[in-house]
Amino acid sequence: MTWHRVQPWVSLAARLGLGGIFVTAGWLKVTDLAASGRAVNAYQIMPYDLAMVIGAAQPFVEIVVGLLLLFGLATRLAAWAGAVMMVAFIAGIASAWSRGLNIDCGCFSKGGPLPPGVTPNYLPDILRDVAFLAMAIFLIIYPVSRFSLDARLDRPSAALAPDDVLEEENSEQPSERRRQRL
Amino acid sequence: MSSRKDQNAAARMVREQIAREQRRKRTMWISIAAVSALVIAGLIGWAIYAGGKTTDYTAPKGANSAGTGIVSGTGPVVVDEYVDYLCPHCKSFHDEAAASIQQLANDGKITLVTHPVAYLDGASTNRYSTRASAAAGCAAEYGKFTEYTDTLFQNQPAEGGAGPSDDDLIVFGRQVGLGEDFAQCVKDKRFINWTNHVSEEAGRAGVSGTPTVMVNGKPVQASSTAIAAAVAAAAGTTTPSAGTS
Repeated sequence: MTWHRVQPWVSLAARLGLGGIFVTAGWLKVTDLAASGRAVNAYQIMPYDLAMVIGAAQPFVEIVVGLLLLFGLATRLAAWAGAVMMVAFIAGIASAWSRGLNIDCGCFSKGGPLPPGVTPNYLPDILRDVAFLAMAIFLIIYPVSRFSLDARLDRPSAALAPDDVLEEENSEQPSERRRQRL
Repeated sequence: MSSRKDQNAAARMVREQIAREQRRKRTMWISIAAVSALVIAGLIGWAIYAGGKTTDYTAPKGANSAGTGIVSGTGPVVVDEYVDYLCPHCKSFHDEAAASIQQLANDGKITLVTHPVAYLDGASTNRYSTRASAAAGCAAEYGKFTEYTDTLFQNQPAEGGAGPSDDDLIVFGRQVGLGEDFAQCVKDKRFINWTNHVSEEAGRAGVSGTPTVMVNGKPVQASSTAIAAAVAAAAGTTTPSAGTS
C-alpha cells in the first residue's frame, strides 16, 4: 500500500534525474561533434569513420532520450534506450581499462559540470554509469510516474468512454473537468 | 431487471475492451514516434557532421605532401607534433621543448612536422582553435610559421572565454614581420578548410588529445628529453632514407 503510493514518486525522481543527465551530457557534446567523434575513436573499438559517425549521432540521441524521460513520454522505451546506452558505455570503459588505454573517457562531457572523466578515473566512471543503469532499470520495471505525459495521455480516453461514476455526478463537474483536461 | 443489469455489465465490458484496445494502439503509436525521433536525431547528427566535413582544401606553402602539417628541416627521423593553440599543455610543451626540437631540425637530425589541429573549438566562444590554426597556415604561406607559432603561444588566451579576434591575430602577425598579404589571408579565412583537414587527418592517425608527439610514427612523451632520446634511438636503427613519407 505504501509502496504503491511511493513508487510513482520514486519513478518521477529517477525519470527527472536520468533525463536531466542525458540532456546535459548530450548538450555538452552537441556543440562540437568532431570532438565527440574523437572521444569515441579514442576507445579504439571501431574504425575511425564509424567512430566519427557514432560520435556525431550520439549527442542528439542522448538529448532525445533525455527529453522523453523529462516529459515522461514513452517512458519505458526511453528507459530501455538509456539502459542500452549505459551498458555500451560501461562495456567501452571496461574495455579501455582492460586494454590499458590511457584515455580521457569523454563519456559525459568535454569538461562540463558532470564528471568529465580524467585519465585514470575508470572505476568511478563505471560505478557512476552503473548507478545510472540502475535508475534506467527501475524505470523499465516501474514506468508509471507522477506528472508524466504518458499518464496525461491515458486519462482523456476514460472521459471519452463515460463510466458509471460520471453518470452519478452532477452535470457541471465532469464537463468542467473535461475542459481543464483539454 | 436483472437482464438489464446484465446488459449494462456486458456494455461496460465492451467499452472497457474498446478502451483497452485504444490504449494499446496509442502506446504503439507513441512508441513508434519515439523510436522515429531517436533515429531521426541520430541521422541529424550524422548529417551535420558529414556536411561539415571538407574535402576541398588548399595546403599552405611548407606543408607536407599529405597536407597535414608544416615541415621544418630535412633530417632522417620524422617527428610529428600535434598541437592546439588553445591547449595549455601545448603551451607548456612549446615553452619547454620547442627550442631543442627546432635545434634538432636545424642540425639535420629530424624532419619536424607540426600539425596545428583545432580540437578545442568547444573551449572558446569564438572558435579560437580553428581561427588560430588557419592564421598559422597564412603565416606558413608567407614563410613565418615558426615565429608565428611562438607568438600565438606567448599570447595564448585562457580556455572558456573568447580568444583573440581575427584582427588580434593579424596584429600578432605584424609583430613577427608579416604584412598585408598575411592580413588579407586571415580576413579571407583562406586556410580554414585546411585546418579542418589537418584535424580530421590527425584524428584518423589516432591523435585523441593534444599535445601528441610521434617519432617515426610511435607516440613519445611530449618533453624535450623523451623526444631527444627517441630521436637518438630511431637514428641508430634506421637508415637515413627511411622514415620520411
